Amino acid sequence: MKTDLLIIGAGPAGINAALTADAAGAEVILVDESLQPGGQLRQQTQLFSNLPKNKKKTRGTSLNNHLVESLNASNVKVLSNHAMVGSYLNGNIGVTDGFKTFEIHAKKYILATGAQEEGKIFPGWTLPGVMTAGAAQILINRELVLPGKNAVIVGSNDFAFEVIKQLRICGVSIKAVVEDKDQLQSEKQDLLSDLGNITFLTNSTIELASGSGEVEHVSIRTPSGIKELEADFICISNGFTPILEPFEVMNCKFTYKEILGGWLPAYNMNFQTTNSNCYLAGSAAGITTLGPILLTGEIAAWSVLEELEFISPREAHNQKKECWEELMTLENNNVFQKRTEIIADSLLQDNWNPKSYFTELQGGQIHG
Amino acid sequence: MDKSTIVCRCEEINIDEIENALKNGAQTFDDIKRLTRTGMGSCQSKVCLHPVREIIADYHNKDLQDVGISRMRIPLKPIRMGTLATESKDSNVASVFGESVEEGDENR
Repeated sequence: MKTDLLIIGAGPAGINAALTADAAGAEVILVDESLQPGGQLRQQTQLFSNLPKNKKKTRGTSLNNHLVESLNASNVKVLSNHAMVGSYLNGNIGVTDGFKTFEIHAKKYILATGAQEEGKIFPGWTLPGVMTAGAAQILINRELVLPGKNAVIVGSNDFAFEVIKQLRICGVSIKAVVEDKDQLQSEKQDLLSDLGNITFLTNSTIELASGSGEVEHVSIRTPSGIKELEADFICISNGFTPILEPFEVMNCKFTYKEILGGWLPAYNMNFQTTNSNCYLAGSAAGITTLGPILLTGEIAAWSVLEELEFISPREAHNQKKECWEELMTLENNNVFQKRTEIIADSLLQDNWNPKSYFTELQGGQIHG
Repeated sequence: MDKSTIVCRCEEINIDEIENALKNGAQTFDDIKRLTRTGMGSCQSKVCLHPVREIIADYHNKDLQDVGISRMRIPLKPIRMGTLATESKDSNVASVFGESVEEGDENR
């Protein structure tokens, strides 16, 4: 199978990249391992603001419906229920539908394979009833299954609070929120105030989860001693980290930025990895929020379109400039700063000249 | 934490076994993998990679950013050998396996 552009991962970044490339006339194949496109957006019922200017504040699921509708109306060839299994020595990507494995040769690749949740280990974490916040969200919003009646939440980041809100609406009782740091991690006060009276245990960790064949009992080590709770469900929200395997088999180099999720592929301002045929987009390029995820998909697509000469360098320049400016406005400052550090490193290595708009964004200089 | 706590659930490896590997000279995730089978189960270290990195960082008194990741290999998903071998008319499956043979192994 041959195409101009092969995109792995049909989440918001992959779909947005596909739509951008398709609209400019490129032939696009979009591969996703799930039965339906949308990625993690499929169960994100929470409201998202801070979206690019052509999109209003909306629920993740509504935005997903909109993206999938656009995808269906486009010429993008979507291969759902197909997984990337590896790369061939000739650089092509191997894809399987579970019955056969075949090779796709594309002129360029965009890997938009997203992030995975970080687990947390404690005695008893392997018991049924322990799961990540993302898994709990899939159960309630997609599978319509209640993960438990009485929950202990581990972690207090934004995502934990969004999921707590949704669990409560489903009738789950929140017995405690356990945070090992000395203060709650979410900085969003509106999320906190929505939660009402919940027991927050800071400087605390789970000492033991126990039960016969499933979680029944949770012991929590707090500064004031051990607290015992009856709970059948432990929900871990310990942040996200970029998925690296597809990049390793495509021979991309990695770098480390804690705030972007730890190890992640190195890339330049075109979202091009150290494998020049291979671009990236979305959470794979660093953990961020939905608006920036959509924009990174767009920048990667414009870069590919420029490289394949579907658009002029001038148009590519203007489109990417617009995206980067919007990205800087929408993205958390610390996250954006670390992103530019990665790009600054790529400039040092490639002797690249940064585009003028990029140095303007950085106040006239680009520094790691 | 209790040393009997499982870290790699696929292969049922606990903290004690990982620390033993470290005492025997293991420096990297891949060292621990070879000595204990940590990360060699069905999830291929998707769950235990970072908890193990934390244990390595603690043991060797390193920053987490100085502890590398595991070598990740084809196939990226569990797949039947038969599926890997079918319908590969425009290339050959040997090239899929060629990766691990030709590039060898690098310790990070």
